[in-house]
Amino acid sequence: MRVAERTKNDGGKAAPVVAGPSVPTTTRSSGRKRRGVNREGLEAGRRSTRALLWVLLAAAMVLYGFPFLYLLFTSFKTPIDTIAVPPTILPREWTLENYTNALGRSGVLASFINSVQTAIISTVLSLVLAVPAAYGITRYKTLSGRIFIMAALVTRMVPPVAIGIPLASMMAAVGLSDTPIALSIAHTTISLPLSIWLMSSFFEAVPKDLEEAATVDGCSRLGALWRVVIPVVSGGIAVTAIFAFLASWNEFLFALLMTAIRSQTTPVVIANFQTQFGLDWGSMTALAAVYSIPVILLTLLLQRKIVAGMTLGAVKG
Amino acid sequence: MSTRKTINRFATIGGICTAVALAATGCGAGGPSVTGSAGTSTVNVLVEAGGHAELTGVAEQCKKDAGINVNFVELPYDGMFNRLSSEFSSGNVSFDVAALDSVWLPSFKDAVQPIDEIFTDEAKKDIFPALVKEANVDGHFIGLPAWTNAEIILYRKDLFEDAKNKADFQAKYGYELAAPTTWQQYKDISEFFTRDGMYGTDVKGAVETEWLAHVLQAGSPMILDENNKVVIDNAAHKEALDFYVSLTKSAPSGAAQVDWAAAQNLFNQGKTAMTRFWAHAYRQIPKDSPVAGKVGAAPMIAGSAGVAGVPGPWYLTVPKATKNTDAAKKFVKCAYDHNSMGIESSLGLASRISAFEKYQDKEGYESFGPLIETLNGKATATRPATEKWQQIVDTVLVPMLQKAVAGGDSATLLADAKKQIEDLLK
Repeated sequence: MRVAERTKNDGGKAAPVVAGPSVPTTTRSSGRKRRGVNREGLEAGRRSTRALLWVLLAAAMVLYGFPFLYLLFTSFKTPIDTIAVPPTILPREWTLENYTNALGRSGVLASFINSVQTAIISTVLSLVLAVPAAYGITRYKTLSGRIFIMAALVTRMVPPVAIGIPLASMMAAVGLSDTPIALSIAHTTISLPLSIWLMSSFFEAVPKDLEEAATVDGCSRLGALWRVVIPVVSGGIAVTAIFAFLASWNEFLFALLMTAIRSQTTPVVIANFQTQFGLDWGSMTALAAVYSIPVILLTLLLQRKIVAGMTLGAVKG
Repeated sequence: MSTRKTINRFATIGGICTAVALAATGCGAGGPSVTGSAGTSTVNVLVEAGGHAELTGVAEQCKKDAGINVNFVELPYDGMFNRLSSEFSSGNVSFDVAALDSVWLPSFKDAVQPIDEIFTDEAKKDIFPALVKEANVDGHFIGLPAWTNAEIILYRKDLFEDAKNKADFQAKYGYELAAPTTWQQYKDISEFFTRDGMYGTDVKGAVETEWLAHVLQAGSPMILDENNKVVIDNAAHKEALDFYVSLTKSAPSGAAQVDWAAAQNLFNQGKTAMTRFWAHAYRQIPKDSPVAGKVGAAPMIAGSAGVAGVPGPWYLTVPKATKNTDAAKKFVKCAYDHNSMGIESSLGLASRISAFEKYQDKEGYESFGPLIETLNGKATATRPATEKWQQIVDTVLVPMLQKAVAGGDSATLLADAKKQIEDLLK
């Protein structure tokens, strides 16, 4: 590319423009043409950039979505198809047998109820504890608050198995063995630090002026929090709730260590399809596919709030 | 306040109340009780997911005979050891009976009760000798073998009976094509069928049991001798390892990553003509497999020390910490009395010799004859009774085998392994 010469007509005041080698530069009409060609060139450039972005987006989607699609297709395969060497992506013969096997297995429905129950309790606990903690940390900005938020992160650095076994013993000691509440408390230990950090960033984004205005209008600090701040960060609360729910919904290790007959959750039941004597791959994928439906629905339901929450956290200062 | 907001708030408060109510009840949806309380006739049985089916029939029979209700707690194999460790160490167990893999017995020997009364002289005669020996720890029987397994030879009957294959094999090797009875025959047959995208056998680099069976056949105890001295570098171990690795020429590539599941898949897909595999696999070939109905079974092949396999039993144990000892022991006795019921399950195994013998001539149970012969083999032995066994397997034996099948020098690898095991046992 080269910078085109300035024309006489524009008195040499026009900004230099980028043009191709064959563009005439001496008349008004040719100047218009040149600008038209430039616009077309820019438009074409934009289109190709957009096309490239779409290709990258599609590639990323395939990369993320393929494992789930493979799982979904496998759930419709016949037993011999599921273990084909080399593996096939699409079923050679479609069947619902894996779904009937998986859903007909004793304990599956109960495990689903347990998973829902545990995830709801854990999410509620996380929010109830994280929202005031994060609000206090961001509004009062004390040294102890800063130490607390850093300490909360430290708990995330400990491997879950290291706290799983003592936690299971503690729950047994207080008579909560094999109950959803015990598992929910354990799951809250995972989601709470992340929830506090997330909520802190959302509260940071809310201008203090809003609260002060509410106070001027007669609100107490708690009233301002409840009536003004919470509605503003509701998107952030939705994001935090989703993270807390997912952390509990998919958690395996604590469920393995702490549940037995009454409160076993579905991830453990899914894992039970792999035994020392073989892997029932078809039934395992069928149950995993069914198990992912509530989370997909929940995410779709809260999609707008999540997007709002994401952008809220990004606006600061 | 807008209607929408009101609805949202009601929904939120309702959700919280529901969750709190559910939490307050402390109930899960799975069942009524956590652990049998003292003196009740309900026992909770902790079992690996694959073994659950083995005990279902027994549980029903036990309810009829002794009035004992059984709740099963199923767990995946990979997590069961952690769960057992956690509960045994806390002294507060959520189960009254636990089915333990044989390799875990040494680790939990102090946490379970003796059940000597079940091991009468008659019972001892009806249980495979290696299992009677393994169940006895420090002079007491601590586990009743609920079911057992061993590797046998599975082969493609259709290929072995094919007239052209028979003629070609005879012409090339000078003897008749039939189920192998010597390791040289196994090697020849493996080589013969390695053609046209098919392989004669598999070599499992990601699991150790098969190589250990070769060690027993070569006349050495596995890894440790009776005085717990590490003998992994002796001639028998080297001979076994060299033979094991020599089969890679007739096996699919990537042997280092082949484990039980991969080997079973290869055979069921018709990619291998023979496999050395656990006997239960004979009855688990999918109906839509290209090899369904075309598989024969033969006993494990003898080495210089005779036929040998490594048994894979699971033992029913009663924890010391249970408050329900009587009912738990009654259930274990039921499991012994009705042991053959496990054979009717999807896994299709038992532990009593009489149970296997009852079925061995029935159609569909052709693997039982070879299994009995292998389990009764002169050199058949269980794995060394050390708490560190799983650690030895995971950190020394499997990595060593993987290096060996990838072309490593066997003598050097065995010498290194000896040092590592000695360090682990210190």
